Amino acid sequence: MLSALIIIPLLGALLLGLWPGGWQGGRARQFAAIVQGVSLVWVVIVGCQFDIHVPGMQFVESFAWVEPLGLDYQLGVDGLALPLLFINSLLGLISVWASPARILRPRLYFALMLVISGAVAGAFVAQNLLLFFIFYELELIPLYLLIAIWGGTRRAYAATKFLIYTAVSGILILGSFLGVVWLGGGSSFNYDPTLTASIDLLPQLILLGALLVGFGIKIPLFPFHTWLPDAHVEASTPVSVLLAGVLLKLGTYGLVRFGLQLLPDAWEVLSPWLAGWAVVSVLYGSLAAIAQTDMKKMVAYSSIGHMGYILLAAAAATPLSVLGTVMQMVSHGLISGLLFLLVGLVYSKTGTRDMTVLRGLLNPERGLPVVGTLMILGVMASGGIPGMVGFVSELVVFRGSIVVFPVQTLLSMIGTALTAVYFLLLVNRVFFGRLAITLPTDVIQPDLILPPVSWAERWPSIVLAVVIVALGIQPSWLSRWSETASLTWRSPTVTVAQAVPDSLCEAFATPTCLP
Amino acid sequence: MVILLSQAVATGNCWPDRYTQIVVVMAQLWIETCWLIPVYGLVGAIASLPWSMGWIRLTGPRPAVYINILMTLVALAHGGLIFQGIWNQGGQEIAFTWFEAADFKLNLAFELSVINLGAVELIAGLSLLAQVFALGYLEKDWSLARFFSMMGFFEAAMSGVIMSSSLLLTYSLLEMLTLSTYLLVGFWYAQPLVVTAARDAFLTKRIGDTLLLMGVVALSALAGSLNFNDLYEWVKTEDLSPLLATLLGLALIAGPIGKCAQFPLHLWLDEAMEGPNPASILRNSVVVTCGAYVLIRLQPIVVLSPVALATLAVVGSITALGASLVALAQIDLKRTLSYSTSAYLGLVFIAVGTEWPGVALMILLTHAITKALLFMSVGSIILTTNCQDVTELGGLGPKMPATTLAYSVGALGMVGLFPLGCFWGYRLGIDFLWVDHPELVAIFLIVNLLTALNLTRVFRLVFLGEAQPKTRRAPEVAWPLALPMVTLTVFTLLVPLVMQKLYLLPPWTYVNKSALVCLILSGVIGVGIGATIPLSKALIRSMSRPVRLLQDLLAYDFYTERLYRVTVVRLVRALAIASDWFDRYVVDGLVNSVGFASLLGGESLKYSISGQSQGYLFTIVVGVSLLGLLMTWTMW
Repeated sequence: MLSALIIIPLLGALLLGLWPGGWQGGRARQFAAIVQGVSLVWVVIVGCQFDIHVPGMQFVESFAWVEPLGLDYQLGVDGLALPLLFINSLLGLISVWASPARILRPRLYFALMLVISGAVAGAFVAQNLLLFFIFYELELIPLYLLIAIWGGTRRAYAATKFLIYTAVSGILILGSFLGVVWLGGGSSFNYDPTLTASIDLLPQLILLGALLVGFGIKIPLFPFHTWLPDAHVEASTPVSVLLAGVLLKLGTYGLVRFGLQLLPDAWEVLSPWLAGWAVVSVLYGSLAAIAQTDMKKMVAYSSIGHMGYILLAAAAATPLSVLGTVMQMVSHGLISGLLFLLVGLVYSKTGTRDMTVLRGLLNPERGLPVVGTLMILGVMASGGIPGMVGFVSELVVFRGSIVVFPVQTLLSMIGTALTAVYFLLLVNRVFFGRLAITLPTDVIQPDLILPPVSWAERWPSIVLAVVIVALGIQPSWLSRWSETASLTWRSPTVTVAQAVPDSLCEAFATPTCLP
Repeated sequence: MVILLSQAVATGNCWPDRYTQIVVVMAQLWIETCWLIPVYGLVGAIASLPWSMGWIRLTGPRPAVYINILMTLVALAHGGLIFQGIWNQGGQEIAFTWFEAADFKLNLAFELSVINLGAVELIAGLSLLAQVFALGYLEKDWSLARFFSMMGFFEAAMSGVIMSSSLLLTYSLLEMLTLSTYLLVGFWYAQPLVVTAARDAFLTKRIGDTLLLMGVVALSALAGSLNFNDLYEWVKTEDLSPLLATLLGLALIAGPIGKCAQFPLHLWLDEAMEGPNPASILRNSVVVTCGAYVLIRLQPIVVLSPVALATLAVVGSITALGASLVALAQIDLKRTLSYSTSAYLGLVFIAVGTEWPGVALMILLTHAITKALLFMSVGSIILTTNCQDVTELGGLGPKMPATTLAYSVGALGMVGLFPLGCFWGYRLGIDFLWVDHPELVAIFLIVNLLTALNLTRVFRLVFLGEAQPKTRRAPEVAWPLALPMVTLTVFTLLVPLVMQKLYLLPPWTYVNKSALVCLILSGVIGVGIGATIPLSKALIRSMSRPVRLLQDLLAYDFYTERLYRVTVVRLVRALAIASDWFDRYVVDGLVNSVGFASLLGGESLKYSISGQSQGYLFTIVVGVSLLGLLMTWTMW
C-alpha cells in the first residue's frame, strides 16, 4: 500500500525524464498532473482503509535491505503522518497544476517535482531512522535544482544557502540518529521509542539538542530561519507552494516523531525552554513580517511565526496539543499554499510584488477582483478568523498548551493579533485604493489595465480555498485521523496535564514562568 | 418531526384538539430548526455571489438585492414563529457537538428565550428596513450586489451572536462580525479614508478579540466547557486566585469593549462613518447591541472579579461623558450621532458593571430603534444633498417633511422624554442606581443633558435657518428610503405600547418622583441650552482662543488617534523595524559572513600555489612537524 505512494511519483518522474521523444510543456504537465492525481487518489484509498481506532502503525511493510548497516525498508503510517501524506499529494497536484505550461525544460522540471513528492511521502511513512534520513536528503537535491534553475535573479545565492543550511540540518539529524541507536544498543535503525529508555539523561539531552537544531533549521525556527525568506523570494510560485506547504512540515513532523516521541525524557526537561523558543519564534517572525515590503517575503516570515505554534504545542505535549500540531501543520500547509499561489498570480500579472508600488488591485474591471477576494479569504484564514481551518487548529494548539505553559501560550496568542496586522497591511496597501503600479504621486496616471486572469489560473487557488473553508466548518474531518494516535501514545507531561487548574493558578500566582 | 406531526394528526379526536396539537408540534419544529435563522442570512450572502463577483451581468445587480431581502423576510417570519412558541412553552436550549478531542469538547449551542428572540426579531426587522433603505441609497452604486451579500453575512453573524449559548460560538460569530465590519466599512475601497477606516476598525476590534480569545482559551481549560450554563454553574463553585480571576475578567470584557466602541478602543466607530450609510444604520444600532449583549451574557462570569466589574463601570463612565462631549464638537452629520452611540453604550457598560443587566437590556432595545431611525433620516439628507457637513446644511425642515419628522421623533426618543423609548431605560437605570451610586446617576443625567443639547444643536443647524447652496433644491426622498424611514418613525412612536404588551413597563406605584423630575429637568435644560447657544456657520470654529482649544480638543476626540500613534502603533512599528534590522544584519549577517570568510580564505590561499615544489615540501614539513609536536606534547 504505502510503497505505492513512493513508487508512483518516482516511477512517473523516471518515465517523464527518460521517455524518448520531445514532449511539449503542456503534455509533460498533463502527465505529471495525472501522476500526482493518481497518488492523491491512492492516499484517499489508504485513508479509507485506515482504521482510526488503532493507535499504532498501520499498513506496515518491512523487509531487510542493507542488514549490516541496520537499514531496513520499513514503512508504516499512523494518525500523525496520514494527514500530512494527504496535503503532500494535494499540494503536489496543486503545484503541478499551477505551473505554467510554457516553462523552460519542462520534462526536467516536472520530473523533479514528482521526485520531491515521492521523497516527502517516503519520509512521512519511513519507520527506519536511516530510511527517513535518506528520503529527507533525497528531497533536497531536486528542490535545490528547482530554485537554482527556475528561480529569480538571485537564485544561485538562495539555492546555495538553502543547500548548505539543509545539508547541515541533515548532518545533525544523522549524527543524532546514530547516537540514539549506538548508545541505546539497538541492532538496527528501525524506529522504536523504547530504544532510548536505557540512555542517560545527559546524552539524551545532547542528542535532542542536535535534533532540535537540525529540524529547527528545516521548520525553520529563529535564528536558523534566514534561508527561508531568500529561498521563497527566489523560488517560482509552485516551488514556493511545495516548500511552504510540504517541505517545512518535514521539520515539524520530525520534531514530533523523533524529538518528542523518541526522546521523551530529555524533551520533558527541555520543554519549558522549547516553549520559550516558540514564543520568540512566533513574535519575531510576526514582527519581522510587519516590516517587509515584498509580499512573498511577508508570507515567508508569517510561516516562521506560524510554525512557532507547532513548537509550542509539541513542547506542551498534552494529547490535545499533539493533535494541535497535526492540525496546525495541515492548516498552515493549505493556507500558506493558497497565499503563495495568489502572490504568484499577482506577480505574474503585474510584474512586481513590491507593496510600496502596488495599489488597488481589487478594481473590478481592470484589476484582479477574484484574486483579491481569495486573498482576503486567505489572510483571514491565516489570521485565525473562525469558519476557516486556521482558527480551529490554533484554538486546539492554544487550548492544549495553556494547561502546561500558560504564559508562553498567552504570549504566542499575541502572534495571531500581529498576523492580522501584517496581512491587513498587505490587503490594504495592495488591494484597496486606486489601481496603480507606481509609487504614490500626484501626477495623473493613464488608466492601467491588467491582463485578465483565466479560470485555469484561478482553479488551484479556488480548490485550496474550498478545502480551507470546508475543514474550518467541519474540523473533525481533519482531526479524526490523528485523534487516536495523539491521545493514546505515552505523553511525558501527561501528569501535568491532569492537574489543569493548578498549573494555571500557580503560573499566575508566581509572576512569570518564562525560562 | 414528520412522524410526530402525522401522529398528532392521527391521535387527535376532534378537530380543535387536532388543531392545537398540530400547532404545538409545528412550534416545536420551528424551535428545533432555530439554527436556520443565521443560515438564512448566509444563504442570501452566498446566493448573491454570482452577481457580486460579476459572473451574471445581464440582469443587473437587482436579483441579489431581492434574494437578500427575501431571506431577511424569511428569517423575520421564522423568528416570529419561534417567538410565539417560546412565549407559550418557555425557553429552550438546542446544542450540537461540533468538535471533540480528548477532554476538549466544543458545542454549538443556541438558547431560545423571549429576550433572545426579541433581540433576533429586532435585528431581522432593522436589517430588513436597512436593506430596503439601501436599495434606494445605493441604487446607482456599481457593486450593489456585493453590498447586499455582505449585509446577509452581517445579519447572519448578528442573529447567531444573540442566540448563541456557547462562548465559543459567540466568539466565532463576533469575529465574523469583525470581518464583515471590515468589509462593509471598506466597501468603497478606492477612497483613502475608507482604507484607513477599514483597517482601524479591524485592528481595534482585533485587539479586543485577541484578549477575549485568551480569556476563552483560559476559561475552557479552567472550566472544561464553554457553554454559558455550564460556566455559570462553574462560577458558583470555583475558587480562583484573585489575580487569575481579575485577569480572566479583564480579558473577557476586552472583546465587548472593542465591539461597543468603548474607551480606549472607541475610535473605529468614528472612522467607520466613512462606510455606506445603510451599514451605519445597523452598526450604530444593532451591532453594538450584539457586543453589549455578549457582555451581558458574560456578566455572571465577570462577577468573579470585582476589579473587572469596577473597570466596566469606569470605562462606561469615561466613554459616556467623553463621547457626549466629543459629539458636541463634531461637524460631520454622521459623526455627531456615532459618538452618542458610544455614550449610550457607556451607560450600558455602567449598568452591567453595577450588575443591573435589566437596565442594560432596556437601554439597548430602546437605543437601537431610535438610533436606527436617526441614521435613516441622516441617510436621506446625505443622499439628497450629497453633503454631510452640518455647516453646509440648513433650512431642510420645510423641504423634507418626512425626514424632519423622522429626525425629530428619533431625537425625542433618544433623550429621556416621557413616554418615548429611551425614557424607560434612563428611568430604570436612575431608579436602581439612586441609592447606591449617586455619582453614576449624575452621569446618566449629564449624558441625557448633553445628548439633548447635541441633538438640538444638529436640528437647528440642519433643519432650521436659511437654505444653503447645497440644500436649496432638496426634495423629499424617494419611496425606497421614505418607506422604511416612515415605518420606523411610526414604530418608534409605538415602542411604549409594544413594551407594555410585552410586560416590560414597570408599574407606576414604584416611581421615584425626584428621579423622574431630575431626568426630565436634565433633558429640558439640554434642549434649552441647545436652542439658545449661538450657532454661526461661518464661524463654527470659535475666535476666542480658549474656546477654540477646547473645541479642537473635542473635535479631535481628545487626540486619541495621536495617542494610539505614539503608543501602540509606534511600539509595534519600532519592534518590527528592529526585528527586521536584526534579521538582516545580525542573523543573516552572521551567516553571510561565515560564507564570506570561507570564500575569502579560499581565495587568498590560492595565491600560495606557486608551482615550485620546494615551497610545497616546506609547507608539508612544517605541517607534519607541528602535528608531531602536538601529538607528543604530553611526553615532553
